[in-house]
Amino acid sequence: MPTDPEAARYLREWDDRLQDYEDRQRITAVRQLLRRMGRNRLLLIGTVLGFVVLFLGLFGPVISGVDYRTQSFRNIHRPPFSEGHLLGTDELGRDIAIRLFIGIRVSLLVAAGVTTLALVAGVLLGMTGGWTGGWTDRAVRGGVDFVWGFPLILVAVLFAGGLGEGLFPVILAVGLVNTAAIARVVRGEVLVLKQREFIEAAHAAGVSTVRIMGRHVVPNILAPTMVLASYYVAVAVVAEAALSFVGLGAQPPLPSLGRMVSDGRNFLRVNHWEATIPGLAIVMLVLSVSLIGDGLRDVFDPRLRHEAKGVEE
Amino acid sequence: MSATRSSTPGCAVPDRQAPIGPAATGAGPPGLALSICNLRTVIRTEGVDHEVVRGLSLDIQPDEIVCLVGESGCGKTMTALSALRLVPSPPARVVGGEVMLAGRDLLKLSNREMRAVRTEEISMIFQDPLTSLDPVFTVGQMLIEVICTHRPLSKRDATDLAISALGGVGLPAPHQQIDAYPHQLSGGMRQRVMIAMALMLDPSVLIADEPTTALDVTVQAQILDRLLEEQRKRHMAMLLITHDLAIVASIADRVAVMYSGEIVELAPVRELFSNPRHPYTQGLLKALPSARSKGVLYSIPGRVPPPQFPPPGCHFAPRCPYAVSRCWQQYPELTGEGLHQMRCFNPQPFDPS
Amino acid sequence: MRRIASRSLYMLLILALSSIAVFYAIRLSGGDATAARLPASASAEDRAQFRDQLGLDDPVYEQYFRYMGRVVQGDFGSSITNNAKISNLVKEHGRNSLVLGASAFVLVFAIGVPLGVLAAVRRNRSADAGIMTFSVVGMAIPNFWLALLAVWLFASTLGWLPSAGCCGIKQLILPASVLALEGIALTVRMTRSAMLENLGADFVRTLRAGGLSELRVIGRHVLRNAMVPIVSLAGLRIGQIVGYALVVETIFGWPGLGQVLVTAVLRRDYPVAQFFSLVLIAVVVASNWLADVGYTVVNPRLRRA
Repeated sequence: MPTDPEAARYLREWDDRLQDYEDRQRITAVRQLLRRMGRNRLLLIGTVLGFVVLFLGLFGPVISGVDYRTQSFRNIHRPPFSEGHLLGTDELGRDIAIRLFIGIRVSLLVAAGVTTLALVAGVLLGMTGGWTGGWTDRAVRGGVDFVWGFPLILVAVLFAGGLGEGLFPVILAVGLVNTAAIARVVRGEVLVLKQREFIEAAHAAGVSTVRIMGRHVVPNILAPTMVLASYYVAVAVVAEAALSFVGLGAQPPLPSLGRMVSDGRNFLRVNHWEATIPGLAIVMLVLSVSLIGDGLRDVFDPRLRHEAKGVEE
Repeated sequence: MSATRSSTPGCAVPDRQAPIGPAATGAGPPGLALSICNLRTVIRTEGVDHEVVRGLSLDIQPDEIVCLVGESGCGKTMTALSALRLVPSPPARVVGGEVMLAGRDLLKLSNREMRAVRTEEISMIFQDPLTSLDPVFTVGQMLIEVICTHRPLSKRDATDLAISALGGVGLPAPHQQIDAYPHQLSGGMRQRVMIAMALMLDPSVLIADEPTTALDVTVQAQILDRLLEEQRKRHMAMLLITHDLAIVASIADRVAVMYSGEIVELAPVRELFSNPRHPYTQGLLKALPSARSKGVLYSIPGRVPPPQFPPPGCHFAPRCPYAVSRCWQQYPELTGEGLHQMRCFNPQPFDPS
Repeated sequence: MRRIASRSLYMLLILALSSIAVFYAIRLSGGDATAARLPASASAEDRAQFRDQLGLDDPVYEQYFRYMGRVVQGDFGSSITNNAKISNLVKEHGRNSLVLGASAFVLVFAIGVPLGVLAAVRRNRSADAGIMTFSVVGMAIPNFWLALLAVWLFASTLGWLPSAGCCGIKQLILPASVLALEGIALTVRMTRSAMLENLGADFVRTLRAGGLSELRVIGRHVLRNAMVPIVSLAGLRIGQIVGYALVVETIFGWPGLGQVLVTAVLRRDYPVAQFFSLVLIAVVVASNWLADVGYTVVNPRLRRA
């Protein structure tokens, strides 16, 4: 504290203003994160696209009110905007719009199933392995490496070979590979966290392992895991579509985007929309998820600040 | 009081002619080895420029060791990087000033000319020798590559030069170690490699940025001794950045104390330690643990003001026990008599207790 | 060296495990193998006899050892649908798959790495934005759909390239490009971020302080460091190519291993499905092993002893 009273007054004023400034900074930390999210174009485009697709998948069938199985042999291969069929009809005269909505629904369901499975199993496995170490960890790592190295499509084809065609083996196969991918990253994060002082301090203070996991480990691995999960949602969507395309995923009459592309491929010259529209829907779906993933990573991943590295003393 | 302004362009730093330190013995050539003048560097964050080096001026004589001290974040490293034009850009950039070396302003050189100057005339040693060496190349590959960019030597001659440089800094078995990767060497050995690389082309100026901070205490002295020995042998000017005042006391000729991007006090080492005038320097010295300070350690209250929110007058005023109203209204210039200069309106005699 | 040896052992272990997994998966399938061969009208006795012939009623592990014993002796059996000898099938289709896969692999790195480097060096400029947009969109386009569009545009509409067939350069262009696209998109991203990470590394500053030109610093040192993670994931890229080849080969009628495997799985042709799965798995495992060896070569930090 300065002995000079005048200087002391100046200091108090300055301190107040600095405090104000820092309070503003602190309050805006959350707001800044939100603003960064708002200003992040990737995230914005991804979210908008995602909402459009989600809306179509959830409410499209309700709004259009047609049955996706209804065939009409007088109205086959109609182009988009023909009467009664906004997106036209396919080779059996079925309305493409409603089939597209249901197809999106199937994609979303598969993605949700796969991601739930992969997140729960992956986080549990990764945390157990990373935290306990020793033989458990070696087993987890071995299993994860074993699965992770395999191409998704090959695993799915093998599962389909074993369990027969349908969505279930697809979910299982993609879920398995994604579990390995997530477990791998979670394990790595936990290994790093375990060395950190605050975890060691919690340990030393006698906090139970479960509590440390819940209070300290999970929140810290949440952001990277969510970013990763959004990538694997995209992977799941593409994998389901590809498998349905070759005939291993969704079985008729249930429409699936991949299946629709496959059905339409023989009529490209007649009415290419039968293959291009569902393909576009897949692209939109995947694009939205991966843009959201990219955007989240930009906002959360501090490693991106490496461009400023070397600036601090 | 013959106050002389120094932070004006042209840098009329007083008593420039007066021989200082070992230069007084006439060992080095006349003139300055390095003259930094009114250097300004900014960092851009969220679209706004913040000054991190605020019009810094500093002269170094040949054969002289100047220590640059100050808290972390006060701009020591940025000053050094600015002089070599190595600031990470973006986000940082040098916006003004002069860095005179052998009659040329380094800030005005073309990129090609600047590259030729680095290592050949002015070198820099960095803090962490592990991350500062390329992990996927051997020590020899790096040294030889640097040699060959500067000298038209054959591979064999360049290798010989690299080996002798490594041997010269006390690396054991240099012709074997030359094929080692950085991770295969110990911290001290890596720093020797850095020193060899910095000195192998005989520069006239060396900037060492906390060269011993990342090392084990046991090898710190060895590395420092090696640096000093080389400096004396080559009559090289050296700018040593450190926050270890014990090192400063034992090796510096002059000391520049930096605070918030500018020099607040500049004096020959004895003068600075026996008669520190700036309250910040006094605080630094009081914070030194000594036999006298039993148990309780002094620390300067408060912290460095954020560069986004600089105080209106003297930047140290918010932490200064002797601040008067003028300190809050006006920006102090670097003034002083003879070699001892400081930036303070209200200097007080030093009370070490 | 120890690392490579242990990885080799690990690779063999994985191969053995996968062969068991594949064998069980295919044997436990709900489908009936006899349906593939015998007409629907076949009597129960005929079916039983057929199953007996193939040993389908023995315990699975017995079948497994019998099968592996034969495989080791070089007898891979033959297809139940058309009696073709599997060894001939592999030879014939393996070569085609190798041509396609290798071309795609070369494309992935020959295009992906330079684009990624360019994006990193020109970061936040228009070239970077363009390349990254390409990469994001490239990853979002499913390759089977891209394949259709490519056939439709270049083969049907423009008539520049054949839509299907084998095995000349002209027939190769479309499937190889389609197969490579996702790998290119991923490699671009990875290269860019690895380059950026290393551009911010301390050693770059040292090299600049040494007076090296930006071209040397970036083109030699940063690139070499950035290659470490890229090479380590090259095995994964091969795996991806193998996986997507199943789809792409089917679309372009490229007679490779993938096409045969998909057909065999759909027709429940067990001997073929089983052996071709094993072959593809072996390729994937071997490429992961190769990438591991490559990783040890590019990353001296692993070559300690």
